[in-house]
Amino acid sequence: MNEDNINSFQRSSLWHDAFRRLRRRKFAMVCFWIVAGYFALAVFVYIAESIDPTMSAINWKEQLGQGMEYQRPSLCSVKTIFGTNFLGQSTLISTLYGVKTALAVAFAASVISIMIGVPLGAAAGYFGGVVDDIVVWIYSTLSNIPWIILVMAFAVVLNDDKIMGGKLSGEPGVYLAIGLTSWVGICRLIRGEIIKRKESEYVLAAKAVGCSNSRIIFRHLLPNVFHIIIINFSLRFVSFIHMEVIISFLGLGDANKPSWGKMISAASSELTRGIWWEMTAATMAIFVLSLALNIFGDALRDCLDPKLRMER
Amino acid sequence: MSQNGKNLVEVKDLKTYFPVRKGMLKRTVGHVKAVDGVSFKIESGKTLGLVGESGCGKTTVGRSMLRLTKATSGEVFFQGHEVFKESRAGLKRLRRNMQYIFQDPYGSLNPRMTVGSIIAEPLRVHSVGSPEQRCENVNEILKRVGLSSDHARSYPHEFSGGQRQRIAIARALVLEPDFVICDEPVSALDVSIQSQIINLLQDLQRDMRLTYLFIAHDLAVIEHISDYVAVMYLGRIVEYTSAKRLYESPLHPYTKALISAIPESKPIKDKQRIVLDGEVPSPSNPPLGCPFHPRCPVAEARCRHEVQSLADVGTETEHLVACFRALEGEK
Repeated sequence: MNEDNINSFQRSSLWHDAFRRLRRRKFAMVCFWIVAGYFALAVFVYIAESIDPTMSAINWKEQLGQGMEYQRPSLCSVKTIFGTNFLGQSTLISTLYGVKTALAVAFAASVISIMIGVPLGAAAGYFGGVVDDIVVWIYSTLSNIPWIILVMAFAVVLNDDKIMGGKLSGEPGVYLAIGLTSWVGICRLIRGEIIKRKESEYVLAAKAVGCSNSRIIFRHLLPNVFHIIIINFSLRFVSFIHMEVIISFLGLGDANKPSWGKMISAASSELTRGIWWEMTAATMAIFVLSLALNIFGDALRDCLDPKLRMER
Repeated sequence: MSQNGKNLVEVKDLKTYFPVRKGMLKRTVGHVKAVDGVSFKIESGKTLGLVGESGCGKTTVGRSMLRLTKATSGEVFFQGHEVFKESRAGLKRLRRNMQYIFQDPYGSLNPRMTVGSIIAEPLRVHSVGSPEQRCENVNEILKRVGLSSDHARSYPHEFSGGQRQRIAIARALVLEPDFVICDEPVSALDVSIQSQIINLLQDLQRDMRLTYLFIAHDLAVIEHISDYVAVMYLGRIVEYTSAKRLYESPLHPYTKALISAIPESKPIKDKQRIVLDGEVPSPSNPPLGCPFHPRCPVAEARCRHEVQSLADVGTETEHLVACFRALEGEK
């Protein structure tokens, strides 16, 4: 017993170990700080927008007044530091705004898919029988539909003003569409892990002690698969960002707010005319974020893998 | 209460079959007869040793008794209550008094919980005392099993196998149960640690007036700890008597073979070692007649068709055996 152990009371030693090991991976930590930077930017945009809700809109209108004209990148002013698009809108501001759109949508979609996938997977795995059959049937059906069509169908339906008085159109429509269609992966994963663990001796021991089913699921089984949820979250986050880009590229996102997908969609037709900066800004922003998230997610998985835990 | 007031636990004709399912429609094509009609009783404060080779259904007997595994048929009486007919709430009440110690101390402790919360869990589940009182109870039981109260804050992976088994024992005993099923509690441990744990279990039995069902495959351990011993073969009990009598004069040919295989500290020159041929038959397709007949050195024609049920040989100490030859030889 050393000082360290006593201090770690109530704190799961797995996390303690994992973060210690993670800190030793320099490259992963760089990626972590890049991702953290993106999040800070998103929060900054969110705060700036809540102080002045017309921030993005002002730029649109203001620039519109100046005529529909490109401005090449130059260091002369903030508006033209990355150039502008054909409406004279600043690429820099659009790109920054895109960070917020992408992260907000990906985060909300992840939370929704975990909130649906984890309880369903846990119930299916633990109770088995009819419950299992129903859950498996639902997700098999859902995963048989090509996801892009499913997401588009959801996005179109949710964007309809007749549903919930149009409250779900725009951003909520996008993350609901992604979240409601992509819980299958995590559900399958959790179901498998619960099936694997429900016959283990510590679960039998909990049963022998007299624990209820919900106590066994929430106190014994889920804490033991929590690292899997975290790893899945970090790796799925990237694909959710991509989905947001694709949806807004297809014009199903929020029409009034800048997003990377819309930038790429607009820039793709201009590329042949030598207007390269808008495409570059959006794709570089996506590329750096995806790469950093993937590398960090992989490192996190290595550090949280229980089989590698004993090695110090 | 069952017929005999002294008996804390009584098992009657317990059968646990696992269905074998095959094909698309998961039709049941057969059963693995893990436990096939086991009956015994345990007096209050005594230890019954349940011995047999791996796969003979020892663990299934223990788990079925606590309803951790669903039994196919049979009855289990505990303190006069019929365990299999209890409601959910009644079962929870009963489980307060009957606890289970698992074989593998590496698997039976939740790796994400501190030792303190593992041991306090039974108290919390049964709403015993206030949080402070529970904390005291945990510290007390930790000392009782030979650990210190500082250990409550550590995680299971910080402990050795022996210490972990002490933690598992503490969890089983913190509710002060009457009856504990010990499912091979020492077979996963080093030989040097085994005796410590056995002695701990014996001390606790004396101090807390516990009744044990002690499941093991190690005959030396069983001899040391048990008052009575039941020998199992292929889901059935083939011999039952006091520990002393079993080791002095085993009657069933299977028991004889087992006992002849115990290594001795002072080998006698002309000790006869009975070597059994073949494998244990599959419990999904047990042989007709006496399940032991294909390997039995003294089997005769009728053993292939008829089964001798467990019968008293009529000695002073109760001695039951399921073998025609043994019963004839004795009478």
